[in-house]
Amino acid sequence: MVEPLRIIDFGRSSPLRSQTLWHAVAYGVSASERATLSFTRPAAPYVCLGYHRGTDEVDRDYCRDNGLLVLRRMVGGGPVYLDADQLFFQICLPARAVPASSRQALRVLLEPAVMAFRGVGVPAVLDEDLEICAGDRKICGHGAARIEDAVVVCGNLIERFDHEQAARVLAFDDRCQRDQTLALMRRFVSQTPVDPAAFQAAMIAAYASALGLGPQAGALTGDERTALVDLDERFMSDAWLGGATRSPAARTGKPTARQVKVRAGVWTLGASYDGARVAAGVVRGTIDQVRLQDRGLNGSTDRAEQALTGVPLLSAAQVLADFGDPGRRLARAFAMADPARL
Amino acid sequence: MGEASLVVVAGFTLALDRRYQPETHMWVLETGPGRVRIGMDSLGVETSGTLAQLSFFATGTELTAGRPFGQLEAAKFVGPLISPVSGAVLSVNEEVASDPGLAERDPYGAGWLIEAATRETGVELPRLLAEPAEITAWFSARIAHYRLNGLIAQ
Repeated sequence: MVEPLRIIDFGRSSPLRSQTLWHAVAYGVSASERATLSFTRPAAPYVCLGYHRGTDEVDRDYCRDNGLLVLRRMVGGGPVYLDADQLFFQICLPARAVPASSRQALRVLLEPAVMAFRGVGVPAVLDEDLEICAGDRKICGHGAARIEDAVVVCGNLIERFDHEQAARVLAFDDRCQRDQTLALMRRFVSQTPVDPAAFQAAMIAAYASALGLGPQAGALTGDERTALVDLDERFMSDAWLGGATRSPAARTGKPTARQVKVRAGVWTLGASYDGARVAAGVVRGTIDQVRLQDRGLNGSTDRAEQALTGVPLLSAAQVLADFGDPGRRLARAFAMADPARL
Repeated sequence: MGEASLVVVAGFTLALDRRYQPETHMWVLETGPGRVRIGMDSLGVETSGTLAQLSFFATGTELTAGRPFGQLEAAKFVGPLISPVSGAVLSVNEEVASDPGLAERDPYGAGWLIEAATRETGVELPRLLAEPAEITAWFSARIAHYRLNGLIAQ
């Protein structure tokens, strides 16, 4: 007899419940070992932080003034803007049914989603960075976690993507980096306006086939409802929102660069050193766009920016060596970049 | 850790002066009576992917063998760091929390994760791999297994 794949369609949920519902499922799967594929769509826009990320990465004042709740999830990744034009999906399995390697687990649990995208006509691929893309554009945000004895991988169908808001809710020290982030989001993050019902059906078929399970409509159990109440309270608490970690700057007292990942290999950098300031967009290791500020550059700013554009990030110091003390200060700002930790 | 205790097995470094929990790739080094230092071996680090974040339970938190003492994040996957011993967190390595790459660069030295007071020293430590020959055999077998399954490069 084929084991069931529990399917739960939560429909539209409040921002809070669009997170806590599937976290409750994870606790349920951990206890009961029933594989579950769930769906929900937030009824209102909000901002969601990955488990390890700092609240200082979000423009809290803007969010408050615009009625955007800020929540923290248990899965990884950065701060993201979420709204009703995104259909969330979550696949949750007992940990023993998932490869122990997190990369292998992600591959196994994202491949069916790729098949579902293809099933509705989107030429999706799972790239070497384990992102679901069409061409060079990311089309699905994902995150994953082991929650007790369950593994959950979540993602979204982005029917429409509000690039402006996605960049606006993030905190930046200067306008240049925000503009660069927005420009790169427009180039490298794409919406897929397909029929969500067809996508949902394709997802159920793809996951059931890949996991060898039989789809079966289900609902939260009593224990999951109890967990949901606890999660609602936890996720709205200041302690939970504050997070598990302090930023490296807070821990070490040393200034750090502001790095914003747009998709794998595409990110922006904002960094200052001794009055010099750099804002740069980086695409596959190459400086794609850059704005420089330094009191000593005088009329050389344009020339320095042009010299850096199209150059590997690792060669920035070499290029800036031609620009004297301002170049050395700017090189120190560039050196604060740490793309491995994006 | 003496240089002599560090060996290379099929391209991965291994310290032979400590104990290992084979399923989780955590090492345990006794640093005093009832006191241990805990870290992740080079193979555990490699199979996790590039470490983006490490977080640990606060000093004083109770530990149970087989349950988490913190979390790691790699490739947007948040997973537990599983304690090989029961006891309590004495201190956490703030340097590695600020720079998770330290666990990749120096997994047996500066990349340690936490220090703990052990509660069941006489029971739990003997369950871990301790003899250099058995540690090397286990480590070697895991490398072969991971290579066979494509989890690490050939």
